[in-house]
Amino acid sequence: MATVPPAESPVREVQLSALVVMRLIKHSTQVWPQPATGCLVGMDVGAQLQITNSFPFPASNPDNTTGNPNATNPADPYHQADQLALALAAPRAKSSVAYQNEMIKYLREVNVDAQGVGWYVSCSMGNFVNASFVENQAFYQRATGEQTVALVFDVGRSSQGSLNLKAYRLSPSFMAACKENKFTTESIQKSNLRYQDILIELPVAIHNSHLLTSYLHQLPTSPTSDTDLALPASLNELHRNPHLASNPLAPNLDNLDLSIDPFLEKTVDQLLDSIEAHQTEQNNAQYYQRSLAREQAKIQTWQLKRKQENALRVQQKQTPLPEDEWQKLFKLPVEPSRLEAMLVGRQVEQYARQIDGFGAVVSGKMFGVRGNLLPGEAS
Amino acid sequence: MGDSHNYLHLARPLAPAPIATSQSSVTAPVSVTLQPQALFSIIDHASRRPADQERVIGTLLGTRSEDGTEVSVTNCYAVPHTETAEQVEMDMDYQKRMLDLHLRAAPKEVLVGWYATSGELNTFSALIQNFYSQQGEGTFPHPAVHLTVSTVAGQDVEANTYISAPIGVTAERAADSCLFIPVPHEIKYDEASKSGLELIAGARDRDDRTQLMQTDLETLERAIEQVLEMLERVSNYVSDVLDEEQQSSTALGQFLLNTLALAPKVDAEDIERDFNNHIQDVLLVSYLANTIRTQIDLSNRGGDQQKQQGGGERGGERGGQRREGGGGQQQRSGQAGPGGRRGEQ
Repeated sequence: MATVPPAESPVREVQLSALVVMRLIKHSTQVWPQPATGCLVGMDVGAQLQITNSFPFPASNPDNTTGNPNATNPADPYHQADQLALALAAPRAKSSVAYQNEMIKYLREVNVDAQGVGWYVSCSMGNFVNASFVENQAFYQRATGEQTVALVFDVGRSSQGSLNLKAYRLSPSFMAACKENKFTTESIQKSNLRYQDILIELPVAIHNSHLLTSYLHQLPTSPTSDTDLALPASLNELHRNPHLASNPLAPNLDNLDLSIDPFLEKTVDQLLDSIEAHQTEQNNAQYYQRSLAREQAKIQTWQLKRKQENALRVQQKQTPLPEDEWQKLFKLPVEPSRLEAMLVGRQVEQYARQIDGFGAVVSGKMFGVRGNLLPGEAS
Repeated sequence: MGDSHNYLHLARPLAPAPIATSQSSVTAPVSVTLQPQALFSIIDHASRRPADQERVIGTLLGTRSEDGTEVSVTNCYAVPHTETAEQVEMDMDYQKRMLDLHLRAAPKEVLVGWYATSGELNTFSALIQNFYSQQGEGTFPHPAVHLTVSTVAGQDVEANTYISAPIGVTAERAADSCLFIPVPHEIKYDEASKSGLELIAGARDRDDRTQLMQTDLETLERAIEQVLEMLERVSNYVSDVLDEEQQSSTALGQFLLNTLALAPKVDAEDIERDFNNHIQDVLLVSYLANTIRTQIDLSNRGGDQQKQQGGGERGGERGGQRREGGGGQQQRSGQAGPGGRRGEQ
């Protein structure tokens, strides 16, 4: 996975305003576990893409179409699958484009940077690489030029304590393949496209305005460091002290949590799903190969027969029959698209890296705990 | 009315203006919670205001509890308006359309009030307040919440919330005056926003006001550093008390003792065993995941190459077999996956 985009890529880094981060978190956690999708606005300054505002797409809201979530049974798997597909397809839906244009038109009136610079989607434990994602981004990169990114916000991983927000673009080689809409073995071989090359990850930075910075400085972060803090009279007072209980930006120690199993389990589950998808793709490919071989064998026997027949006809001084008639008689099967297989590969890579990351973090923590509980060995 | 410092602390009645109608249904006090994204949006708007305008205004969206006494502001949007010494003009059409757009995306967030980016309350505030709390398009029968966020350079950013009441307003001036009653507000954020806020706050001490996204390990490192710092502070305090340099406190001592008692008492062997089991599980899963990745990579690539051969003249038997071989291995590692997971549990 290339973190440094190639030279021809017009955008090299992504800068988010704090507002976008908060809006994304809010929208994503609200519609969880459905994926949330929305539009990003901002502007591109040279190689830097500044994203300054965002708004959700109406179609990604679970109870928007029905008006009432109880009208159709939300537990119904078909309903859920419908909603899922709807939410994922939202960024390239016609209604969303109209909505986006209208919204941007109004935002322009109040001096917001009015340039659509991409879209965002929320996911859980990195399960975002699918055909829908790629199609959305391809749609955006085709429609509004190269300066668009897809922001992926991982709700599952962010609940572990550290924010997980990534920006992706489709690589130029993949876009070229996408334009032709050809993902056969030959074309992939020719363009030397590998699944590692589908997405380009861009570094993401968060940028605050001056006003926000001054506001943040007003908020207390840690208990005041002055030593003349009155000593509590009792244990209860310590528990009830509002200065200790509510600290807006107190250090977040969630990521010291040792329990990694639920995350690991979920990722492994998703990994198994991916393997199944891969199996299906492979079966498709095998089926194609078998039918191709069968057809080719048929053609060969036919050609052989025609040759013999022609030899006979030449002996009998008759005009030989044309030898390329097989093209009309036999039809070679169409090769299935290899796109899905590539995406599965990319997705599995994502999971593997994620598990690696978990492993790295948790083993560090665990050695720490062991050193703490077994002081004899640590010293 | 312009004075924002001498409040008349009245919590009732909260009948919305205009006062001509006497159906004051809501009499309970109102408390307002602000969510950071709304506040950030207001601050963003304040920094984008036209150069010649003192303040800018916008609409607050959010949810209201059933009895209307608790208002949670979750979102907002800017509304263009012009203000001169004599008159104020607000783009009502814009406000209506924007509200419509927002309702389409988030039907649960309704109109709850409006904000202005200056701490001042004046006649125009009253006019706008009456517009927002009117019947029909306004928040009637609930009172509209007015949030002021002072954004004067060099001073603290100060947020205040008000609702309006008809007390002290004469009937003939009801349209352009109202009494603002300050109501308590607090800024609240949920668990999910915590990590985001932490990162945003991380950028505040930097000169370029920019913070790069951090990896899990970096966040872990920082958290551990913070814990170490806290431990240091506590141990300093304890040794100071021991040296009788600082006043001792029974409550603090008790608290520390309670905290220390939380450390589990377990056998060294048990720890060793559990530790080894767990770490092996984690490593195994990590290893298997990478094996699967390699397998899929191989099988995709192997498939490609064979198919190129097969795409030629002789659709190869050999290719087919090798592909099957790849699939078989693939399945085996797939089965090992759940096994590893079971071991994990």
